[in-house]
Amino acid sequence: MATTVTLKSFTGLRQSSTEQTNFVSHVPSSLSLPQRRSSLRVTASRATPKLSNRKLRVAVIGGGPAGGAAAETLAQGGIETILIERKMDNCKPCGGAIPLCMVGEFNLPLDIIDRRVTKMKMISPSNIAVDIGRTLKEHEYIGMVRREVLDAYLRERAEKSGATVINGLFLKMDHPENWDSPYTLHYTEYDGKTGATGTKKTMEVDAVIGADGANSRVAKSIDAGDYDYAIAFQERIRIPDEKMTYYEDLAEMYVGDDVSPDFYGWVFPKCDHVAVGTGTVTHKGDIKKFQLATRNRAKDKILGGKIIRVEAHPIPEHPRPRRLSKRVALVGDAAGYVTKCSGEGIYFAAKSGRMCAEAIVEGSQNGKKMIDEGDLRKYLEKWDKTYLPTYRVLDVLQKVFYRSNPAREAFVEMCADEYVQKMTFDSYLYKRVAPGSPLEDIKLAVNTIGSLVRANALRREIEKLSV
Amino acid sequence: MALFSPPISSSSLQNPNFIPKFSFSLLSSNRFSLLSVTRASSDSGSTSPTAAVSVEAPEPVEVIVKEPPQSTPAVKKEETATAKNVAVEGEEMKTTESVIKFQDARWINGTWDLKQFEKDGKTDWDSVIVAEAKRRKWLEENPETTSNDEPVLFDTSIIPWWAWIKRYHLPEAELLNGRAAMIGFFMAYFVDSLTGVGLVDQMGNFFCKTLLFVAVAGVLFIRKNEDVDKLKNLFDETTLYDKQWQAAWKNDDDESLGSKKK
Repeated sequence: MATTVTLKSFTGLRQSSTEQTNFVSHVPSSLSLPQRRSSLRVTASRATPKLSNRKLRVAVIGGGPAGGAAAETLAQGGIETILIERKMDNCKPCGGAIPLCMVGEFNLPLDIIDRRVTKMKMISPSNIAVDIGRTLKEHEYIGMVRREVLDAYLRERAEKSGATVINGLFLKMDHPENWDSPYTLHYTEYDGKTGATGTKKTMEVDAVIGADGANSRVAKSIDAGDYDYAIAFQERIRIPDEKMTYYEDLAEMYVGDDVSPDFYGWVFPKCDHVAVGTGTVTHKGDIKKFQLATRNRAKDKILGGKIIRVEAHPIPEHPRPRRLSKRVALVGDAAGYVTKCSGEGIYFAAKSGRMCAEAIVEGSQNGKKMIDEGDLRKYLEKWDKTYLPTYRVLDVLQKVFYRSNPAREAFVEMCADEYVQKMTFDSYLYKRVAPGSPLEDIKLAVNTIGSLVRANALRREIEKLSV
Repeated sequence: MALFSPPISSSSLQNPNFIPKFSFSLLSSNRFSLLSVTRASSDSGSTSPTAAVSVEAPEPVEVIVKEPPQSTPAVKKEETATAKNVAVEGEEMKTTESVIKFQDARWINGTWDLKQFEKDGKTDWDSVIVAEAKRRKWLEENPETTSNDEPVLFDTSIIPWWAWIKRYHLPEAELLNGRAAMIGFFMAYFVDSLTGVGLVDQMGNFFCKTLLFVAVAGVLFIRKNEDVDKLKNLFDETTLYDKQWQAAWKNDDDESLGSKKK
């Protein structure tokens, strides 16, 4: 890393030359990439020339939280930014929960948040209900937003910072022949009239950020590979007012084999209705059955409700094998940055969009120089370093507690513990895996093992009864 | 269970007087003799009890649960037979209801009333465990709606740790220790007969001590044939997520870790 910096400043001293510098240096990969990698990869890190007559042009494909945040940071950094979004009023099917830190980090106005959830109920397969949220302080909450409102707000802010927002559908891209040739994007531009087929256009850009979600076309065009994904199925139900007061600031999570074999069913309050849904990775064909079971478990509380909308969407389970290629990087759902166990994606999408944009701004020195793959790799490094522990912890939780009904019973029992609640909310709301006191941790470990042992013992008893 | 009931029902139709002898000669357990005696006494030629028995034989749990007045607090296998017969009529009535919720005389206000589980002045934890297992089994097969008026509050940690160990771990520990002792004795004898090294000298040898350690660890983790595969799968599972994340840093010609079919 140090050598590339000195190389760049060296070219800065020379008078700006538009000709290609043949000054190519092979930087040993071990200097610029994390030590834990097993293979030695030699990346040719060229000293990139200054762009003499123009700013760096970057296209952001997809205008959700990831795209909006990326476009805003790029535009603020002095880069010519184009944001391409296919549906400006898209209501992405989504739980819609954002952690507290997102409001602060992204300066979200409080009127975007429809509801502040301060209580959660976890319900086990045998309907043991546990209330969590007692440890939350006055100002702490989980924000529930409408995706169409949040996405539109972030796009507007990007536009105000100087990005050009285009309503269009990205089709494909032509890869550059040389290391500094531009990418040619083929897209269909809609001119604002609904129902019109739109006009095919092309655009030349220096770099691309793929923020186009779980079915990313950008990912396909760079051969990023596939990931396992879950199907999240959700019904929006408008329930009578007196039942709605119960969900005023409370969200519910149902676990059980009837509701989902590897995920959970939920009832999340939205602006004036509730969203009842469930998801699964392994039994996608049975999703309707799981949805019926979820509705059955919440039946008393949503009785008399009318279904106003049914929606479904894939949720990635792990990152794609390749998250970047030359000057194209993936962020958000397109990269697969959804946590396990909770299925949270909005915050990570926005944060990764911002981080990638920051890496581009830094690598191009505010748009004055061309970037290369090394600059984008810095974004990957930073991302992995900051958030891999969080992802790992949630993965372990999913593997341990979502395996079977006894494990889920133990999970709900554990959630009754105050220390667990405090740690869970701290790590969710502020996105830091905070170290608690070691004594409490040991007590927690002992209690977890106890709960798991008891739940499994009860399962053996159940099996004995069925014989 | 189901194997035995059909022959009884067919024979009872033919020759009511023959039943007691038939049952005593074929079946030794108290349970079935009780069953046949009660049926002989209520033998009025009606087919409903006999037909219902073959229906309810595979589902003894639900019947007991539905008839709280008849079941005694300490649920013993012998008493379930009498409860079953009386419960037969109850089951047929209840099938007309649309939703059957879990009910039990001892399940009050969303938790088990421990006072009803007392035996000789102390709580009989074994029956609490069995009752909770039955409730969970019932709910697994018939998921119920949660309700704010009747929240479920039971927490298994009220059952003391020694009750769990006594019920589940001690029998298995006894089994494993017994097996280990038998194998150990014969291995020691075998090695002694081959090499002439006595038991005390065997323990002093480093190689033997290592073998002992491996044997103990093996018995702890691998108790059935399936455990070997289970442990291997567990190891693969723990490392898979990490591999998926590190895939971005690997060379292009390495195998793709995306979309692994689990």
